[in-house]
Amino acid sequence: MKKKILIYGAGAIGRGYTPWLFNNDEYELYYVENNTHLRDEMNHKKSFTSYRTKNNKYESLVCNFVHCFKPGEENPLDFDGIITAVGPRQVFSLMQVLKDVECPIVLFENDSSLSEELKVMTGKSNFFFGVPDVITSNTASQDKLDEDQLSIITEDGVCFVENGASSMGGDIQYVDKTELDKQWAAKLFIHNTPHCIAAYLGYLNGNKYLHEGMQDDAIYQIVEGAMKEMNTSIVFLFNLDKDFVDWYSDKELSRFSNTLLFDPISRVAREPFRKLGLEDRLIGAAQLALTAGVKPKYLVLGIMSAFLYDEENDNDFHINILLNSLSKEQFLEVIIKIQPHEALYKIMIKEWDSSLQLLKGIQKHD
Amino acid sequence: MTRLEIAIKAAVDAGELLMNNYGKIHETKNKESLRDIVSEVDRLSENKVVSLLQEFDPNSCILTEESGMIGNVSSEMWIVDALDGTVNYIHNVPLFCVSISYWVDGVPQIGVIYNPYAKEVYYAENGKGCFLNQRKLSTEKIDISMGISSMAFSGRAYNPSKRSCEFQIFGDLNDISQGCLRTGSAAMNLAYIANGKFSLAIGKANKLWDVAAGMVIAKEAGASLDYNITDEDNFLVDYICSTSVSKDELREKIDITYLDL
Repeated sequence: MKKKILIYGAGAIGRGYTPWLFNNDEYELYYVENNTHLRDEMNHKKSFTSYRTKNNKYESLVCNFVHCFKPGEENPLDFDGIITAVGPRQVFSLMQVLKDVECPIVLFENDSSLSEELKVMTGKSNFFFGVPDVITSNTASQDKLDEDQLSIITEDGVCFVENGASSMGGDIQYVDKTELDKQWAAKLFIHNTPHCIAAYLGYLNGNKYLHEGMQDDAIYQIVEGAMKEMNTSIVFLFNLDKDFVDWYSDKELSRFSNTLLFDPISRVAREPFRKLGLEDRLIGAAQLALTAGVKPKYLVLGIMSAFLYDEENDNDFHINILLNSLSKEQFLEVIIKIQPHEALYKIMIKEWDSSLQLLKGIQKHD
Repeated sequence: MTRLEIAIKAAVDAGELLMNNYGKIHETKNKESLRDIVSEVDRLSENKVVSLLQEFDPNSCILTEESGMIGNVSSEMWIVDALDGTVNYIHNVPLFCVSISYWVDGVPQIGVIYNPYAKEVYYAENGKGCFLNQRKLSTEKIDISMGISSMAFSGRAYNPSKRSCEFQIFGDLNDISQGCLRTGSAAMNLAYIANGKFSLAIGKANKLWDVAAGMVIAKEAGASLDYNITDEDNFLVDYICSTSVSKDELREKIDITYLDL
C-alpha cells in the first residue's frame, strides 16, 4: 500500500522539488494550494512535469499526484506524512489544522526556529525542521511551459530532515540535530545570504532571472564578496570545516549562475523585510560577521540593495515608502531596529551614501 | 514625497523631539481642566510638524490642537495632534504619540501615528492597507468578552450634568470585556485596535485631532468604524471602533444611547 503524503504549498519547493523525494511507485502525493488558478489547473491535469538540472542537463519527472485541495478541504489525519512549503509567515495559520495530526510534519520553511515554536504552541512533538539544500524555480523556460504550463525546474540537491521524521521515508537524509544545524548554518549563510543579495542586485540591474544578474561583473563581485565574508565568519563561529565551506560556496556560485534554472528574481527577492530580520540572512549575517571580527563590506552592500527593492507588487512594497520618508538614522533605528550603539549601525551610517552611489551605478530600472 | 511619506517624516521627526525632551518637562499650563494641559513640548512638537507640512505641502490647510486652523480653510486639510497623551508624557508614562492625518471633504484619507517611546510608526492610506513599521496589520474578529476595550472621555467642560453617562458606559464595557482602559491617548487606543491589542475603542466628544489619524489606521486594518462629528465648530467627535462588535451588536449588550451615532 502506498504511503500518502500531503504537501502544503504547490510552489517552488512543494511542486518543483518535493516530488523527487517521493516516487510515484511508493507514494501518493496530495497538495493543498491557496492559488485558485494553479489549483484548478493542477486538478484539471492531475500531473505536472518537474525538470531537474544535473551536470548541465535536464532530467524530467512526471508527477502524477492524486488531488490538490482548496485550504480547509483536506483532512490531514488521513496522511502518513505532511510537508509544508508555504513560507514562514504563513505556516502559523496551519497550526490549528495540524494540531491533532500524529504523523511527521516536516517544515521546509527556511526558518529553523519554527518547528520548536510549533511544538511549544501545540504541545505536540511531531514538527520537524527540514533543509532542502537546493534551488528551485517556481516556473520554467518558455519552451517547457509551452509543453506543460505547470512545468517547473529544480536543481539536484540533498534534503536533510531531523531523525524523528524518518518513518516518512523517501529520498531524504535523516540526520541528527548537530548535522542538521551544520547544514542549516551553511544553507542560511552561504546559500540564503548571497542568494538574496544576487536577487536584489539583479533587480536593480533590471534582470528577470537570477543567472542574468550573475553575468554582470559588478554583481558577481559583490555576491562573491558577501559569500567570502560569511565563509570566514561561520568557519570561525560554528567551527565548520573550511574545506566543506569552500566546497559549499563554490557550489553555490555555480548554482546562482545556472542558466538552466530560470530562477525568477521576484521569487528570491520577495518580502525583503523578512530577510532583513535581526536574526535573518542579511542583518543577522552582517552581525554574525562582526562577531567573528569580519567587517561586512559586501554584506552591507547587500543589505542596502534590499532596502532599494521597490517592486510594487511585493508584499513589502512599503519599504520604499519608509525609505523615502525617513532619514537613514531613523530608518535603521525605527524600522530595521539596529540601535545607534551597535557597530553595524555605525558602519551602515558611514557607508550609506557611498553604498547608495555604488548601487545606483548598477541600477538600470527606473 | 507623497503625502503619506510627508506625514511619516513629520511624525517621526516630531517624535524624536519628544524623546529628546522626555523626562525633562516640569512646567505645564491647564487648558479646560486638570487633565487638559499643555506643555512647552506640545508647542515645540507642533511647530516641528507644521513647519515640515508647510515645507513639503505648501499652501496646505492645517488644523492643529494648539494653534487652531493654519492657512486658508479648505476641504482638504491636515489634522495634527503633535503630542497626544500629554499627561502621560509629563508624568513619564510611556504611552503618547504624534498623530497626523489628512482629510478630504470630511473623509479621512491618510493616518500616521508615531509612538516614539516604542519606536512604533503606524501608517495607513485609504484603500491601501495599514502598517506598523515593517508589518502589514490585519485585524481578526474576536468576541468582545475575549478582548480589551478602551474609552476616551469628553473634556471636563463638556456637558458636566451628563458626565455619569460616560462613566456608566465605561463601567458596562469593563464588565462585558476583559477590562476597559482609559489610556490617556485616544490615538493610541485606535492604533491598538489596528494591531490587535484592543478589540474596542469608544470616544465621547473627543477632539478630532486626537482620533483623525487613528480612524484611518484602524479602519484600514479591518476594524469597523462608526463616527459622527457632533460639533463642527469645536471639532468634537463620537465614535465606536471595533474588531469585536458592530455598533448594533454593542447596543444589544449595553446602553450607548449617550453616544451621538
